[in-house]
Amino acid sequence: MITVNLPNPMGEEHWGFWIALYFFLAGTTGGAYLLSVLFYDKDQGLVRRSALWAFLGVAVGAGLLVIDLGQPLRFLNLLLNGFHPASVMWLGSWFLVLAGAGLLWVYLRPTSRGVQQGVAVLAALVVGYTAVLLMQTAKPFWNASPLLPWLFLASAATAGGALLRLWYPHEKLSRLVIASALVEGAVLALHLIWTYPAATPGVLALLVGPLAWAFWGFVVVGWGLPLFLERRNAALAALLTLVGAFLLRYFVVMAGQV
Amino acid sequence: MPNPKDYAILFDASRCIGCKACQVACKQWNDLEAEKTENRGSYTNPPRLTAHTWISMRYYEGLRPDGDPYFDFIRGSCMHCTHAPCVVSCPTGAMAHREGGVVTVDEKTCIGCRSCVQACPYGAVHFDEARGVVHKCTMCYDRISNGDQPACVKACPTDALTFGTYQEIRALAEERVRVLKERGYARANVYGLAELGGTHVLYVLTEHPSQYDLPKAVREAEKRAATGWLSAGIAAAALGAGLKFIVERREALKGGGQ
Ligand code: SF4
Ligand code: SF4
Repeated sequence: MITVNLPNPMGEEHWGFWIALYFFLAGTTGGAYLLSVLFYDKDQGLVRRSALWAFLGVAVGAGLLVIDLGQPLRFLNLLLNGFHPASVMWLGSWFLVLAGAGLLWVYLRPTSRGVQQGVAVLAALVVGYTAVLLMQTAKPFWNASPLLPWLFLASAATAGGALLRLWYPHEKLSRLVIASALVEGAVLALHLIWTYPAATPGVLALLVGPLAWAFWGFVVVGWGLPLFLERRNAALAALLTLVGAFLLRYFVVMAGQV
Repeated sequence: MPNPKDYAILFDASRCIGCKACQVACKQWNDLEAEKTENRGSYTNPPRLTAHTWISMRYYEGLRPDGDPYFDFIRGSCMHCTHAPCVVSCPTGAMAHREGGVVTVDEKTCIGCRSCVQACPYGAVHFDEARGVVHKCTMCYDRISNGDQPACVKACPTDALTFGTYQEIRALAEERVRVLKERGYARANVYGLAELGGTHVLYVLTEHPSQYDLPKAVREAEKRAATGWLSAGIAAAALGAGLKFIVERREALKGGGQ
């Protein structure tokens, strides 16, 4: 029996650093692909390049997910041990496999718009299911408000836009990143207020407790500063946004388990 | 609703003397290693269930508003829910109902993804780092399927624990509440009739469930996930359309004005 346990570098939570990193990789690169299909389908070079990033994000993320299992060698049980559509973990595993295959296909061969949009739906499911996975649990910080999918999708748009912007400076993207960052900030504030009565320890851990560094780090360095810098130094703003996107996933995952 | 012929356990808080015989018997029968404990100022010890502690009595003491002192005990363990969130969220089918409505994990199938750990509203499922799989109370399935009682029930010196069919156990619980009310326990109630489709462990309580930190109105995992998918669908549509509007309509409007 092989039980490799990838140690969580920052704590003993059940879902910790590696899961947050996986959420970040899949969310950011998946978001970038979604935006390229939504807004730049005329630029097939960009669509295919972002499909490659998203494929890598999904593949590396899925690899982290597997290594973080208690029994990594049994990972095929995730997919092949019966039909469990009520389990978000089961559905998400299938989304990962299908989206990964689709993204690779879009990257490797010229495909029609229809195919690219179909793969975009799969990518959106990969980005979105992570929030639903958290909502299916018994943890009030994750499920007391229905806003987690909004937060993860908005953050995927912000971070995906920032990723595209690193290679593709474009005024349209700049406006998009600002708009989705504003939505993201509003949703986060609302989520904290909404879950506060049910998940007081988690919210307090973010505001003034052990997770305050990640939360305020996100607010100041990963959200506020990029908004301020967007028109001044776009590349730096994009990099900070990516750091912020990771911090956001990290503190959301951790606050649920306080 | 559990099947009337299912296995069930009654915990009667009005008869429990808090001796922890059940806790010790569980460790012995199931060959569970000891926990390193420390005095935390409460009789509750260990403070939480773990992969090696499947039942732990919880103790609540203090003064009621009218000045009367109280010292209440409650069984903390798996409730063997009919709509069990751990079963619903398991992607492999490892966590499942066995004959008689008992929820157990198949250690040879479990991949250690910990969805079930996060899903349980009673904190009854735990990850065993060394073995890479989860463990929880089995209602002593090895004993009851051979016609014996669970070890905890057998060890209980005060008849606070009773084992039988769901039908018998439920009738007994309701009878006890009737007797307790007659004796002046106006708030006596049965816990577990409505929770999660009815649990196979029922509690007779002399106080409101919140007095024992028991969750009321627990949402089923299917419903939590359904809310999540719905919210994610609305979020994806709204964010996609909203960003499209901000990025392209505004551009078109601006372009038209030039
Ligand atoms: S840890 Fe094991 S029992 Fe629990 S949900 Fe995952 S596969 Fe199922
Ligand atoms: S039924 Fe068995 S395993 Fe469950 S709490 Fe009682 S003694 Fe422990």
